[in-house]
Amino acid sequence: MVEILVYGTVQSAGLLLMTFGFSLVYGISRLPNFAHGALFVFTGYAAWLLRNEARLPYWLAAALALLAAGLLGVLIYQLVLKRIRGMEMSEVIATYAIGLLILESLRWRGLRGTTFTLPVLAPGAVNLLGVPIDYQRIAVVLLGFGIVGALWILTKTTRLGLALRGVAQDEQAAMLLGIDTDLVATVAVGLGSVLAGAGALILFPLGSIVVQSGYQVLVWAIAVCVVGGLGSWAGTVVACLLLGFAQHLTAAYGKPHYQMVVMLLAIIVTLVIKPSGLLGRQKELEERV
Amino acid sequence: MSGIRRRKRIDRGIKVRSESIYVLTSLREIGYLAAPRVLLVGGLLALPLARQGSPYAGKVALSALIVALLAISFDFLANFAGLVCLGGAFFYGVGGYAAAFLNEELGLPCYLALPLAAVLGALICTLAIWPCLPLRGIYFAVVTLMYPLLATRLIEAFDVLGGTEGYMGIIGFPSETLEAYVLIVLVLAGLFGLRRFLAEDPGLVIRAVKDNDQAVKAAGIGVTWCRTKTLFIASLFGCFAGAYYAHLYGAVGISAFALDLSLLPIAATVVGGSGTLVGPLVGSLLLVPLGELLREFGGLRTAVYAAILTVVIVLRSEGLIPFLARKYAQRETWVEL
Amino acid sequence: MKEAGHRIGRTGGGPAILLALFLGACGSKERESIQLGAPLSTAYLYGWDAERGIRLAVEEINAAGGVAVGGAVYPFEVEVIDTRDLEPGVPVDDAIKAVEKLILQKGVDFLVGGPVRSESALAVMNLLAKHEKVSIITTGVLSPKYHEAIAANYDRYKYCFRDTSDVITLGKDLMEVMGEIRAEFGLERVFIMVQDVTHARRAGEYVQELLAERGFSVVGHEVYPTGTTDFAPGLLKSRSGDAQMIFIWMDMPETAILLKQWKGLQLESLPIGFMSAAEQPGFWAASDGSAEYTVVDLINGGNAPGAITPWTSRFVAAYEARWGLEPEGYGASSSYMAVYAYKDAIERAGTLDAGAVVRALEELDLPGVYGRMRFDPRSHQIIPSTDPNEGAVGCVFQWQDGKRVVIWPECAATGELRLPPWMK
Repeated sequence: MVEILVYGTVQSAGLLLMTFGFSLVYGISRLPNFAHGALFVFTGYAAWLLRNEARLPYWLAAALALLAAGLLGVLIYQLVLKRIRGMEMSEVIATYAIGLLILESLRWRGLRGTTFTLPVLAPGAVNLLGVPIDYQRIAVVLLGFGIVGALWILTKTTRLGLALRGVAQDEQAAMLLGIDTDLVATVAVGLGSVLAGAGALILFPLGSIVVQSGYQVLVWAIAVCVVGGLGSWAGTVVACLLLGFAQHLTAAYGKPHYQMVVMLLAIIVTLVIKPSGLLGRQKELEERV
Repeated sequence: MSGIRRRKRIDRGIKVRSESIYVLTSLREIGYLAAPRVLLVGGLLALPLARQGSPYAGKVALSALIVALLAISFDFLANFAGLVCLGGAFFYGVGGYAAAFLNEELGLPCYLALPLAAVLGALICTLAIWPCLPLRGIYFAVVTLMYPLLATRLIEAFDVLGGTEGYMGIIGFPSETLEAYVLIVLVLAGLFGLRRFLAEDPGLVIRAVKDNDQAVKAAGIGVTWCRTKTLFIASLFGCFAGAYYAHLYGAVGISAFALDLSLLPIAATVVGGSGTLVGPLVGSLLLVPLGELLREFGGLRTAVYAAILTVVIVLRSEGLIPFLARKYAQRETWVEL
Repeated sequence: MKEAGHRIGRTGGGPAILLALFLGACGSKERESIQLGAPLSTAYLYGWDAERGIRLAVEEINAAGGVAVGGAVYPFEVEVIDTRDLEPGVPVDDAIKAVEKLILQKGVDFLVGGPVRSESALAVMNLLAKHEKVSIITTGVLSPKYHEAIAANYDRYKYCFRDTSDVITLGKDLMEVMGEIRAEFGLERVFIMVQDVTHARRAGEYVQELLAERGFSVVGHEVYPTGTTDFAPGLLKSRSGDAQMIFIWMDMPETAILLKQWKGLQLESLPIGFMSAAEQPGFWAASDGSAEYTVVDLINGGNAPGAITPWTSRFVAAYEARWGLEPEGYGASSSYMAVYAYKDAIERAGTLDAGAVVRALEELDLPGVYGRMRFDPRSHQIIPSTDPNEGAVGCVFQWQDGKRVVIWPECAATGELRLPPWMK
């Protein structure tokens, strides 16, 4: 019982780390960044390269990798998304294609076969209420909820945060008030990419860096956002908890295979029954005929 | 040469006489209209000749036509019916598995299994996606993206339909010529049939749903039923492609639901020209051979498709066929006054 | 009609250019060499290791003169193509198209190596039958279904051979090892974790049967989709069942994660089985030492240093000299030997005709790197044994202090099995 509670929480926090960037970008600028999973893997691999090939100290490698992820996100917005803003389908297909481009190029450039791993923050494990758990997993929980909490406070208090929220509420009105919505969208995509990267740096030490996680993260990000409601912060957190525990329970009591099935079914069922998700605020007419 | 000359566009006369019903006055005008069509039909029918020179080129051409079917299906759904389907591989896989099942488990011969698989597969696809049909735009796109993934996972998890191994030993076509012409004739029939269908009443309704579903509803026509029919037609194309592939290579597995098969048709469509139906065909005939040349580079193939797709979308290019059609129509000749 | 001509160029252009390209490539020419086509998943250990084995054998044979066929002598030439089939999602289609390209465009005479994944190899059998190309599978394909299909439909699939073991043989080998561990250390509760691909599932089921038969207790059995990255729930299950051995059967690189998580949770159990990721000499460093104490089956002898026959040491030395590191894992010795098997069979057949070479391969009797090489004439499966004078022998090693120490079979052993200190 305790085991389910502990590992379910870890799973949920992991999901939050993987998917929060995606949700944030969509929430602020209504941009579906389907390259999210690719940015996740990109950051992990960049950090690995900087640490193992360029022989940089790990903290520097991690910082540079995050910076690179942010820049890549900004570039994606400036070069691609800016030109097709508002054409929803083009946004989806273009970012999806960019994601594939990044992932398959990484695979071609050498991210395959052998194991690429990042070091854990602190090695070792403790016994938590009779359940063995390693420090890295504890870090996942703390950082997962910590980052989301910090960002929430940031958007409530700082000028930039208010601008972000303003654009999220009504882009036209924000423009009228002198907010540069293009700049805000750039910041949002960059921030989302950095978040994806941060998730990668925290989660990859638990496993190893593989191209496949890019696709997995994308599906999970979509699942979380769809179930929670596209663009809703609270919805994202609730969906992460829900799906995280669901995933852990299916793996613990069913077969590991069902994990992905549960995620995919969650997406389809939510979209069929209530496309705006648990806590979404989309208008009914926009989503279905 | 003395005398006064002026430049003349051949299409103008035809257009002036009638915008859409062609009133032709000369062989030349008939030739003007027929040339592209004859080229397309003739070119495709002559493809099996390539096979004699190089069997490999023949096989690549068949792969291209298989992708073309998926691309036409995507184009029809996205640009005529307004349903952007990111999971074309779902149709393909269901068709392939249907053919394998009919052939292996029920022992139906190829000439029965192939058409039956297309129809049966289309029915299954339509039923499976039916609950999502009322969804719009991005919601429909996301949900369809998940279908092929889900199908793969279900087959793996429940170990049904041959599990990860899939089916092998499906009976192929009796001769290579027949093998090629079955596909070519069906691609052509499908292409021209779909064009005609879209110009008839039911087709017009489908296009109207894309433009303004509320207006169609107000006219007393059921939107969901109309979309159901559309989906059935589109999945018929995709399922036939999958079923044909199963018979061509004698094997079908969960890779029939692979990501490439959803992406490549979309790339072919935007390269060839969205909303033209013939564009996706031409796009496939260009992209698939390109992919084959890149086969030595493994995963780079997908990366190249993705790069082409991104560039074409960002440049908001109209695609090859609309561009060529415009140039063809704008051709001018000197005439004596 | 200049514009119309332009249009031909565009619509018919793709296929026409393609046609010209391939016509050029396929022009008939005098035979200069014997072409071996190697469809391999080159991004993975089983791909590059097999490629190195094949190239090494080809270079040795060519340096010694080549292959004598009916009065003429030809060198071997290798054409490697990437099948990508070890990637997650089991992309069988890529493997089919790659083999087809080798046969139709490159015009290879014989196939050696893969496709590496059982599913792909099974799917490709039809293609081999259709084009009547002889193929020796040397790596990756462990499903018994492969030789069962050949035996069941000999006339159609007689062109297919396999010179490496299947899961049944490997299961028996590993049972021997586990029996010895039980006798010595008293470990008898086993948790099974396998990957969801044909050979792994078959291995899991078969080993579970054998374990029950021999009085071990099986405390759990999990099947993981290819590409799984979180094994914690399964490992926790094994912990609550007090498992003493974890039987693993996986060929995906993510197995490294499993071992890392095993070490992270400090489970009191010994990982044993077939783990392609843990085979390489470099794995110990790559996994930060998580692999320590893991017992790994290398399928064929000669994939790690260990003297089975005199040729084993020669092979290991030649491999090190050519590639700068010892044979890395499964596929090295069997791919190497397959080329020698072809040479032997072609020379005895005196022709390159597929039917004649099939008959010659059926009569093959070659003392090789991992013991005596003979194919079963009906199923075309290599005949296994624990005695190198009788048949092909296996190889099981344990990671000790960052080195691969062969512990089984006895004739090749370079050390003894050790238990992790926290298990004593």
